[in-house]
Amino acid sequence: MSRPEPTDGLGPWLQFLCRACGLIYDEAEGDPDGGLPPGTRFADIPDDWQCPVCGVTKSDFEPYAGRRPNVPGAAEPAPRPRKAGIVIVGAGIAGWSVAEAIRAHDADVPLTLVTACAGDAYHKPELSIALGRGLTPERLRREAGADKAARLGVRLMADTFAIGLDPARRRLRTTRGTLAYAHLVLAQGAAPVVPAALAPELCWRINSLTAWSALHRALKLESRICVVGAGMVGCEIAEDLARAGHAVTLLDLAPLPLPGLLPAPAGARLAAGLAGAGIRFMGGVRVAGLARRPDGTLALATDAGTLDADHVISAIGLATESRLARGAGLAFDRGIVVDGATLATSAPHVHALGDCISIAGAPCRFIEPIARQAEVIAHAVLGLPHADYVHSAPVIRLKTRARPVEMHGTPAPRAPWQIVQDTPDRLAMEQRQDGRLIARLAL
Amino acid sequence: MAPNAAVRTADPALPAAHAVPAGGWSDAAVLAATAAVADGPLSAAATRIDHGEYPLPILSALGEAGALGVHLDRHGGRFGLAISAMEAASRACGATGFLMWAHDVCGLYLEQSGNPALSGALLDDHVAGRSFGGTALSNPMKAFSGIEPMLLRARPVPGGYRVTGTLPWVSHIGQGQYCGAIAGVERADGTVSHEIMFLLRCDEPAELRPCPQFSGMEGTSTWSLRLKDYLVATDDLIADPARPFVGRIRGAFILLQTGMALGVAQGSIDAMLAVEDQLGHVNQFLDDRPADLAAELAELRAAIQRLALTPYEGSKDYLLDVLDARAQGAEFALRAAQSSLLHQGARGYLASAAPQRRVREAHFVAIVTPALKHLRWEMARLSRDVLPAEGVPA
Repeated sequence: MSRPEPTDGLGPWLQFLCRACGLIYDEAEGDPDGGLPPGTRFADIPDDWQCPVCGVTKSDFEPYAGRRPNVPGAAEPAPRPRKAGIVIVGAGIAGWSVAEAIRAHDADVPLTLVTACAGDAYHKPELSIALGRGLTPERLRREAGADKAARLGVRLMADTFAIGLDPARRRLRTTRGTLAYAHLVLAQGAAPVVPAALAPELCWRINSLTAWSALHRALKLESRICVVGAGMVGCEIAEDLARAGHAVTLLDLAPLPLPGLLPAPAGARLAAGLAGAGIRFMGGVRVAGLARRPDGTLALATDAGTLDADHVISAIGLATESRLARGAGLAFDRGIVVDGATLATSAPHVHALGDCISIAGAPCRFIEPIARQAEVIAHAVLGLPHADYVHSAPVIRLKTRARPVEMHGTPAPRAPWQIVQDTPDRLAMEQRQDGRLIARLAL
Repeated sequence: MAPNAAVRTADPALPAAHAVPAGGWSDAAVLAATAAVADGPLSAAATRIDHGEYPLPILSALGEAGALGVHLDRHGGRFGLAISAMEAASRACGATGFLMWAHDVCGLYLEQSGNPALSGALLDDHVAGRSFGGTALSNPMKAFSGIEPMLLRARPVPGGYRVTGTLPWVSHIGQGQYCGAIAGVERADGTVSHEIMFLLRCDEPAELRPCPQFSGMEGTSTWSLRLKDYLVATDDLIADPARPFVGRIRGAFILLQTGMALGVAQGSIDAMLAVEDQLGHVNQFLDDRPADLAAELAELRAAIQRLALTPYEGSKDYLLDVLDARAQGAEFALRAAQSSLLHQGARGYLASAAPQRRVREAHFVAIVTPALKHLRWEMARLSRDVLPAEGVPA
C-alpha cells in the first residue's frame, strides 16, 4: 500500500501505541473504518474516536518508539540445536571451565550455557584486590561472554534464569523456555548470605563482576565504608578499600578476624596487620539494622552503637541456592551433593562442580579444584575414560598485603595449635593429631 | 484486615455458617456434585459456550455444589479442593473453568478485604452462585510488574474516589454484576501517590461496550469497560492502598488458575484415549502418548496440590514455585491439546470436535494474564539480585 508523504510541514508521520491493547495508530495510514483518512495527525483525531480493536479513546494512546529488549547481553541467542546436547547452568569460572574442557575433546556436541548475567569471563579472586590496584570493569573482563561463546561454539543464553528441573524427562525450565538435555552440568555457584538485619537494597555483596562494577561506579573518593563479616572475602575487601583510600570499618561477631580459620594468636596478629593498613576492626559486634538517612548516608545500627557510612558491604558468607536442586529432588546438604569421585549428583545425567557442590557434607569454595573437576565432568559426559576426581584441601591464601596468610591442610576445628615460630615478622603455627601434622599456617 | 495465616487447614468442619447446605460441603460432596455438573449439563453445553452462550445457570449449579467457595477462609481455605473442582469443570469446558477462576478470585477479594460491607450478604450470594462477578486485574497485575502502565485513574473526593479510564476486556461481568478493579490515585499534579482496589459495580454509570469477536471462549461475557468519574464509595473499597493487598493474594490468584490448565490437559488426554481402540495401531507412532502425558500430568497436579496447602506464603521461593507451576501448566496444556488433535486425526479436525475447542482453550491458558511470557518476565524479575545502586522495589 502506498503511503502519502507528509505535506503539512509537521515532519514525518508519527506512530502512537494503544496502552490497552497494543494497537499502533500510524498517522500515514489513519483509520479509514473509524472515519480517519490516511494522513490524519494524532492531534487532529476527535476525542470521541475509539481504538478500532479495544474501544479505548485517544487519551489512552501514547507516542510509540518501540519496546525491543534493551538489556545488554540479552540479544537473541543462537538457534536452538536440533538434538539435545549438553546444557551448563552458570557462566562463572566453573561453567566456562566445563565448556572449554568439553570443546577441547569434542568440537561438535551441542553446548548451551544458561547464565543469569551477561556471561563475561573474569577471574573472581581479582575482585577483592582490584580497587587498590586501580582496575576498572573493562580491565577485569577478560573476554565478553558473547565473544567467548562464539569462539567456543556455545549457545549462550544470557540474562536467563534456570527455574525448574525435571531429571526424569531431562528437561531444564528457564525464563527463556524449556531446554532438553542429554547431560546437565550445574555450575550455579553460591550466593552471598545477607544478614536478616540488613536490607538487600541498601548493602553491597561483592560476588560477581556485575556487583563489583556497580560498587566501583558508586564509590566516591574517600568514602566511609563498613564491611560486615571478617572472613576471607571481608578481610580482603576491607584491605583493598583501605588501600584505595577509603575509611574502612570491619565488623565481626567474633572477637578476631578469620574466626573459623585462625587460632587466637594468628587472629590477633592479622588484626594488628589490618590496623596497620588503616582499618578499624571491631570484633564481638552484632549488626542490628541498616537505614538510609534523608541526606543519603547510611546508619548501621549495632550493639556497639550506630555507625555512619556511605556504603555498607555484607561479607558474612556464601550459601548455595537450593530451590532448583531441591525442587528436582536432588540430594542437598549445604550444597548439591555430588559423588566425590565422579562429581555426579543424585540424579542421572546431572553433574555439578564449583561453589555449588558439597562433598561429604562440606562445600569447597576455592578456585584451585575447579579445573580438575571440569576435566572429570567433561570426560564423563562425552563418555571418555578418565581417572577419578580426588578432592584435597586447597592451600588457602589470604591476599591481605599488610599481613598475608597461608594455610595448608585441613585444620580440625577444636584441636589445639602450637606455635613453631614467633618473631615480629613471622608467626608460624601447626596442628597435630596423634603426632601427625594435619595443618600449618604462617603469617 | 482478614487473617493471613501462611498455612490453611483443609478441615471442612470449620465454621461455615454461610449458605452451606445442611449436609455441608465435604471434599467428597463438592467433587461429586461438580463432576455431576461437568459430565452432565456442562459437557452438553461446551460447544455452545465456546460460541457465545454465557452459562450462568451452570455457574449457579456449581455455586450450589460448593465449587465456588471452598477456597475461602470461612469454608476451610481449601484451595486444593477449589483447584480440583476447577479442573473437573475445565475438563469439560475451558471457558467455564475460566469463569470459575474469575468468580473464585472475586470472592477472595471480597473476603480478604476485611470490609464488612463486602464480606456479608454480598459474599454469601456470590459464593452460592446467586450473584456473579469477576476480576479486572489483568492490567494492574502487569502494571505492578512493570510491563505496562495503569489504565484506570482515581482522584480523591469526599466519601471516596472518582475513577476514570477504560479497560479493554473484562470477563464474567454484565448488568447487575461486578468485578474487582484497581486504579492509580492521582495527586493534583498528575503523579500517582498509590493505588486503590475496589468493587466495581457494572451498572450505570459504568459503561459496558462489546468487544471484537474472539476466536473462541465467547461465552465468558467479556466486555470493554469504560468509566467516567465513576464514584467509588468507601464501602466498596477492597484495599487502600492496594499494593500490600495484591502482594498478599498474588500467589493464590495465580495458583488458582492452574485448575484451568489441568482440566484442559486432562480433557485432551480423554480425547486421545477415546480413539485408542480405533486408532491406537497408528497413534502408537506419535509423540506425547496419553500414558506419557498422564504421568506428567499426575506429577504436575501433585506439585500444585502441595503448593495449594500454603496459598498465602510470601517467600520468594514459594512465589517462584507458583509461577513455575502456572507456566508448566500452560506449556503442558498446549502440548496435550495439540497431541489430542493429532491423535484424533480428521475427526479432531472437524469444526465441532472437542480437540479443536481445546486447542483454543489451551492457547487461552497460555495468554491470559499472567501469560506465559509474563510469567517468565516475572520469574526473571524475582530472580535478579537486588543491588543498592540499581535497587528494584520488590
